[in-house]
Amino acid sequence: MYCIVSCVKASETQNDGAEKWEVQLRKGCLELAVLAALWGGRLYGLEILRRLESESDLVVSEGTVYPLLSRLKTLGLLRSEWVESDAGHPRKYYALTPAGKKRAAEMAAVWERFSSSMSKLLAPLSRGR
Amino acid sequence: MNTANDTQQKIEAYLSRLRRNLRGLPAAEVEEIIRELRSHILDRLSAEGEPNAASVDASLTRLGSTEELADAYVTDSVLAQVEVSRSPWRVLSALFRWASLSVAGFVVLLGCIVGYVLGAALFLCAIFKPFHPHTAGLWMISDSSGDWELSIRMGFGGIPANGHELLGWWMVPAGLILGVGLVLLTTRLVLWSARKYRQSRALPSSQ
Repeated sequence: MYCIVSCVKASETQNDGAEKWEVQLRKGCLELAVLAALWGGRLYGLEILRRLESESDLVVSEGTVYPLLSRLKTLGLLRSEWVESDAGHPRKYYALTPAGKKRAAEMAAVWERFSSSMSKLLAPLSRGR
Repeated sequence: MNTANDTQQKIEAYLSRLRRNLRGLPAAEVEEIIRELRSHILDRLSAEGEPNAASVDASLTRLGSTEELADAYVTDSVLAQVEVSRSPWRVLSALFRWASLSVAGFVVLLGCIVGYVLGAALFLCAIFKPFHPHTAGLWMISDSSGDWELSIRMGFGGIPANGHELLGWWMVPAGLILGVGLVLLTTRLVLWSARKYRQSRALPSSQ
């Protein structure tokens, strides 16, 4: 098991360190970003993607978001329903379940704490630039 | 009208490739995914005006190849299932799906089977030890050429020739603890490798 994983990892380390770090950071935030996008009410997949793109600079691939939505649903954090639309085809809307709301609030609290302590630590760096 | 047909055909060809790649998942789940992505593609296209061959290609490229997409769906489904319930049966049935799609899944499945079988054997051996006190246990069996092998025996056969038992009654606590521990450890390793694999594969951006 470990061998396969380390082979995959070895090819990754050839990337620029900072760039790789940024990619990992964005991936790590994606779950919170999706939950947060749904905080205001139900949305369908493309609306979630558009919200992530317009309200954050998380440029995410569609091929990542749809499987993630399906996983969050299996975990009981989201529920979904099909709604007929004017466009002539039904759309699959996602909404937070009570467990999803709880998870989003917890993650947001962790994020707030973490980012404010990081900002304090990083303040000298941004002044120095 | 002809272009409308062409675009329709392109989309359906993509979706039926995806359906084939998703074959490990339950049928209802596959149909749900196909339906959702069809609706997504149609919405993308109608947002960009009159659909043509180039815009269809662009919207399908943004979704990624059907193999990558199916792989992401299946590993995400494996992860979610293992997180929801850690029963070995759920883990194995999820792994069979993953193994049908990728080499990594197959390797993890093999490792998982080895871990579970060895864990179960140790556990059963501890259970049988009180019933077969002279034959059940961990045996070291050597042959005339000096080779030797370790054997976990449930005690249904006789005493093996040139063998001696290693643990005696310690087999009971050791077998119970190691057996259960190995099963739990295997499940954790499966979860860990699925997470690592997904992180390494997840596409960070469409650009």
